[in-house]
Amino acid sequence: MNCLLCNGQVDQGLTLSQILSFQALTTDSVCSACRRQFSPLNRVKTCRLCGRKLLAAMPDPCLDCEKWRRGFPYPFASRSLYEYNDAMREFMKRYKFMGDYRLRAVFSPILKAELRTTHRLIVPIPVHESTMATRGFNQVTGLLESLKLCECLATREQQKTGRQSAKNRLTRVLAEQPFKLKPDTQAQITAKPVVLVDDVYTTGTTIRHAAGLLMAAGAASVVGLTLAR
Amino acid sequence: MINHISELYGRQIKLSDLSEELQHHPDIHVRPALAKIAGRWVCTRCQAKLKPTLAGLPSGQFYCYECIQMGRMDTLQGLATVDEPNRFAAVKHPMSWRGHLTALQAACAQQIVEVFKDHRRHLLWAVTGAGKTEMLFPTIEWAIRHGLRIGIASPRVDVCIELFPRIQAAFDGVSSVLLHGKSEAPYQYCQITVCTTHQLLRFYHAFDVMVIDEVDVFPFSGNPMLHTAVSNAIKPSGGLLYLTATPDRSLLRAVKSGYLSVGYLPIRYHGHLLPEVTIIKLPKIAAQIKESRLPGQVMTMIGRLVAAKQRFLLFVPTIQDLQRVGAAISREKIRCRYETVFSADPKRLEKVAAMRSRSLDFLITTTILERGVTFPGIDVLVLKADDRIFSSAALVQIAGRVGRNSERPGGQVLLYCSTRSSSVKACDRQIKQMNQKARQLS
Ligand SMILES: [Zn+2]
Ligand SMILES: [Zn+2]
Ligand SMILES: [Zn+2]
Repeated sequence: MNCLLCNGQVDQGLTLSQILSFQALTTDSVCSACRRQFSPLNRVKTCRLCGRKLLAAMPDPCLDCEKWRRGFPYPFASRSLYEYNDAMREFMKRYKFMGDYRLRAVFSPILKAELRTTHRLIVPIPVHESTMATRGFNQVTGLLESLKLCECLATREQQKTGRQSAKNRLTRVLAEQPFKLKPDTQAQITAKPVVLVDDVYTTGTTIRHAAGLLMAAGAASVVGLTLAR
Repeated sequence: MINHISELYGRQIKLSDLSEELQHHPDIHVRPALAKIAGRWVCTRCQAKLKPTLAGLPSGQFYCYECIQMGRMDTLQGLATVDEPNRFAAVKHPMSWRGHLTALQAACAQQIVEVFKDHRRHLLWAVTGAGKTEMLFPTIEWAIRHGLRIGIASPRVDVCIELFPRIQAAFDGVSSVLLHGKSEAPYQYCQITVCTTHQLLRFYHAFDVMVIDEVDVFPFSGNPMLHTAVSNAIKPSGGLLYLTATPDRSLLRAVKSGYLSVGYLPIRYHGHLLPEVTIIKLPKIAAQIKESRLPGQVMTMIGRLVAAKQRFLLFVPTIQDLQRVGAAISREKIRCRYETVFSADPKRLEKVAAMRSRSLDFLITTTILERGVTFPGIDVLVLKADDRIFSSAALVQIAGRVGRNSERPGGQVLLYCSTRSSSVKACDRQIKQMNQKARQLS
């Protein structure tokens, strides 16, 4: 078999489990040289609220998360599996922006292993309809293929009101809710614990929009999981 | 975004890359990007027959995963083409090159012109340093005089980058363009196109004269997609020339079956023989490199070359070995300037440029620099030459880096290995055979 990323030979016998000390899986879809370019966050110190790698001088939770704690009305913590480094940026470019759907296999076994034992409802962040039409897939659900998902979120058209008001940045950002609950899905999440899944945690705004919406709709608790941070 | 119709002459471009206005131009033909042939999706651009399980998208669409690096072809896309019009300004004296071909080169060059006059397919098997590029000049000159479109492609971007300025200088009044994945320069319709074989996927029936340089090399060798790209890029009436110093089995088979005619040039342009290889057996070399150490003999040689200001390339089989060997050399505290280079190295082109401008004493490299790149007057050292990465063709090419210019036609090729592998032996034998042929000619 050839490596999905570099097309080189995948070294036989070297399984994901050996590299990542997860349970035994099939042969990796990526060669070990490509795999090594990704930087897992499970072996470094990370912010307990947003999952970013903490450098020596940084407090835990990090300053960004302190700000969120003051401005975001619900308890929320998210973690990520990998650093958003050059290799991950390149991966996202090829998977998401160039649209090579096959590349989901680079990380789907890892994300799925991560979620296999969760008791939470797995809610993927949705993509816009127009993206779905041109790209042909949602990059998040691609990574979660064959897991039982609760796809209760949809994107909604952005509303341009309230921008000029004197609200602080955080309230304003949160007011521009990009998501909505799909009709008749509220019952599915009421009193349920939820894990929201996204591909990349950048500023944390997107995933908090979704988390806020789910909490307001009655979810018992919401945590986040992203592939990259 | 493509705005001008000329950018579509002889090309096949995603419809969505065209400006709104251009999409409705009457000269454009549009084919669906994927077509269902005998119940199976086939990519119009690269001709790949797609596996439904891999090509299917959750939206119900299909896409081509084979040529996706050139932008995605999918069932929502069209592929736009405008027929090649050969719309080139007449140039009275196209060739600005004032050099001379040797008698042997001139004979080969004439053979090549005939290939294209007869719309044939031909393989020129010329030793490393034979002066292949210059032998193309009479063909290019002839083609320009006849208003033909010329494409020169190589699988390796380094080869293209090295080739382009030489072609440009030799035909300075003729429009020319260099295309490769790393270049930011916009596409332009030109009479001469120098590009990687991947870029040929964007051409359709464009070239009357098509030359593929270093044809035996990865990623071209054994890649049906790139072979399709070549045959699509040539006009049905066009001719095709393959150039190499080390033809692989499939090329030799094509010669045997009569699909390709063949010509040989066993002697370098400066008339000197190929430097023969020195094989040095070091039984523990692999184990030592694994521990980031180098055999004393190798270290001494490196020290001696650096002290003598004799520049060189140090070849290793793998990326991991680059670091190990680099670490071993730094520990030794030899005063030297070097860099390590591998194919996915983001700074590769800069490092090669630094070596060329003599701001480095040596490069430690994987086989990526085995060909195409010329540094005058260098030596080469190959560590673990018996590693399976080094095919006999790779070793012949590596040895071919040495003695390229007439001021230093000799030089050392040192192959360090624990055993004389079949590739090491074959390399030694091939070089000696070529030299034998050359002696008979001169
Ligand atoms: Zn790989
Ligand atoms: Zn944080
Ligand atoms: Zn294709």
